[in-house]
Amino acid sequence: MIRILIVDDEKAICDLIDMNLSAAGYSCKTVQNGFDALDLIEKEQFDLILLDIMLPGADGYDIIEYIRPLKIPVIFITAKHEVKDRVKGLKLGAEDYLVKPFDVVELIARVEVVLRRFHKTQSVLQAGDVLVDTEARKVMKNGKTIVLTNKEYGLLLLFIRNKNVALFKETLYEKVWGDEYIADSRTLELHVQRLRKKMGWEQHLVAVYKVGYRLEI
Amino acid sequence: MKLLYKILLWNIVIVAVCLGVGGYSFVNFVFETSLERETKQALDESSILQFAFETAALNIPSRYDMLQDTTIEEIGYSLEHGGQNNSTRMLHISDEERNTLYLGQGFGVDEGFLQQIPKDGKIYQLREVNGRYYIHTGCKMEALDRVLHLETMKDITQIYEERKEGFEVYRKVILFVLVIASVIMYLICRWLTKPIRLLTKATHKMTEGDYSYRAKVISNDEMGQLTDDFNMMAANLEQNINMLENEIQAREEFIAAFAHELKTPLTAIIGYADMLRSRKMDEEKAFVSANYIFTEGKRLEAMAFRLLDIIVTKRLDIEKQKIDTEKIFDYLKEIYGEYDRVKIRCHYEKATIKVESDLLKSVMINLVDNACKASDEGGKVEIIGKRLEQGYLFSVKDYGMGIPEEECDKITNAFYMVDKSRSRSRNGAGLGLALCVEILRLHNSELHIESKVGEGSRFSFLIPWEEVSEHEVLD
Repeated sequence: MIRILIVDDEKAICDLIDMNLSAAGYSCKTVQNGFDALDLIEKEQFDLILLDIMLPGADGYDIIEYIRPLKIPVIFITAKHEVKDRVKGLKLGAEDYLVKPFDVVELIARVEVVLRRFHKTQSVLQAGDVLVDTEARKVMKNGKTIVLTNKEYGLLLLFIRNKNVALFKETLYEKVWGDEYIADSRTLELHVQRLRKKMGWEQHLVAVYKVGYRLEI
Repeated sequence: MKLLYKILLWNIVIVAVCLGVGGYSFVNFVFETSLERETKQALDESSILQFAFETAALNIPSRYDMLQDTTIEEIGYSLEHGGQNNSTRMLHISDEERNTLYLGQGFGVDEGFLQQIPKDGKIYQLREVNGRYYIHTGCKMEALDRVLHLETMKDITQIYEERKEGFEVYRKVILFVLVIASVIMYLICRWLTKPIRLLTKATHKMTEGDYSYRAKVISNDEMGQLTDDFNMMAANLEQNINMLENEIQAREEFIAAFAHELKTPLTAIIGYADMLRSRKMDEEKAFVSANYIFTEGKRLEAMAFRLLDIIVTKRLDIEKQKIDTEKIFDYLKEIYGEYDRVKIRCHYEKATIKVESDLLKSVMINLVDNACKASDEGGKVEIIGKRLEQGYLFSVKDYGMGIPEEECDKITNAFYMVDKSRSRSRNGAGLGLALCVEILRLHNSELHIESKVGEGSRFSFLIPWEEVSEHEVLD
């Protein structure tokens, strides 16, 4: 299992990230100050570190200097939004830079991207009896291959990576089509219906009133 | 047109007119004097000739009782050429009927003049004949029984020519003097208008935004005074602008800090709310999320109120009342009486001070709250009130973690927290001390901070005495 360390001086933010990443299938640890973070990094092995910059004790910039030789990828999560702060963060060796307030779906997507870059992500995703091999771009259900179009495959990945999470129509459309959602467009609904039929997920892929869809497995 | 050139032009005009009028008068005066002299000479000569003629006529042995016309002509000729050969003298002698008896060469006869010659005395006129000027005199003379007219003409062309020459020379002199005067005047004008040019340069510099530029004072006259005044104005302006810039910068920093502080609770609220609406959660997690939304929301609320306090306090005209310090300490005891995380002790001396009591209480509560936050569980906080010569000294002392020296200056800035995680966990917004400073400013007081890391801190402020008469004391 992939282990993620969350360092933020706000317990509320730590818990928020923890809850979401845990639900997405990661194992998380949280600490609220710089010194504890350094202790923990020394003692345990992590695949990814989410790091705030303004921390009591050692701040984010100090910690990343310490981490660099260990080759653990780092994503900065901070309220500092100015370009020079971002550049400084990225120059110090951070893989990505996320500005508060952030969207949880976006956080998960970025974590995913960084992990994939470091080949730490599982290449095979599972949801019930469905297996998705992201490297081979192959979808299997009960050992049988299912052929999906590009958009359907994109939707499927989003649903599997956000199991039991209601995904908004706007989010789905923006992530898969890369375009702004038009309120009365039926494109998304048609694609979801086709996906539901192909996967045999009539019971699992449910519509959420006024929101969008949720994969319940 | 530049002032310099205006002055210069007027100067040239005035000098030219003065020299012109003066020169013309002078040359003319010389001319008039010469003319007068020549006239006098001509008249004298005329008298001499008259006398000479009469003498000559008497001396001639007269064959006849009458003076003969030929004799007259002879005498006339010898008089005209008397002595000198190159004489410019010309004579005209005519008889009673004004018939010419002798006419010198070149003499132009003027009948009108001849008729005007009186019986006794002389007349004269100035004449121009063929481009030459003459003085023409006329008189009557008696010789034997004849009454003759004697006219003389004297060439005075030379003094006319001298006048002409005089004008010519004078024109050259004027031209020369004008050039010299203009050059000198130009230099003087440049020197006089230098302060103006320096001032102009200074105003341009200031227009371009260089408010520290000052014009150089180079004279003690009105221009120097003006430059001094201008520089003084510029200094005031610069001071005001600097003040405004500082204020703007402080405001920008405040807004930046405020935006930054807003983000953290907002991230939590948005994040948890998003989870609640999109995820199926068990009851425990749902409660935790809702609770976070509530507490972070409360934090925002506290921040908003504190901000409002600061803004209101900044604008407030407070109304000070007299109050016994005892009442303030009683109030604090009441509030912190059941507080058991830290021990709070009050030592105070009785006095009456003049303050806005609600605001002062809020300062004390802020300081005591801070002291409690800085203290470990079971620590000690002392609240002390002391009468001093200058005023009444309030101090709040804790034995907690203390503040590093380099942080002491920044600690009163809005949103500044020495230990963020600790202060936030007790719902601090980092605005309390900023508010205290504002309130104390209204009371002409300042917050003093003494602190040592590991040993604790002491916050104190002095409320200066104001005249308090006993019967005014508030109940």
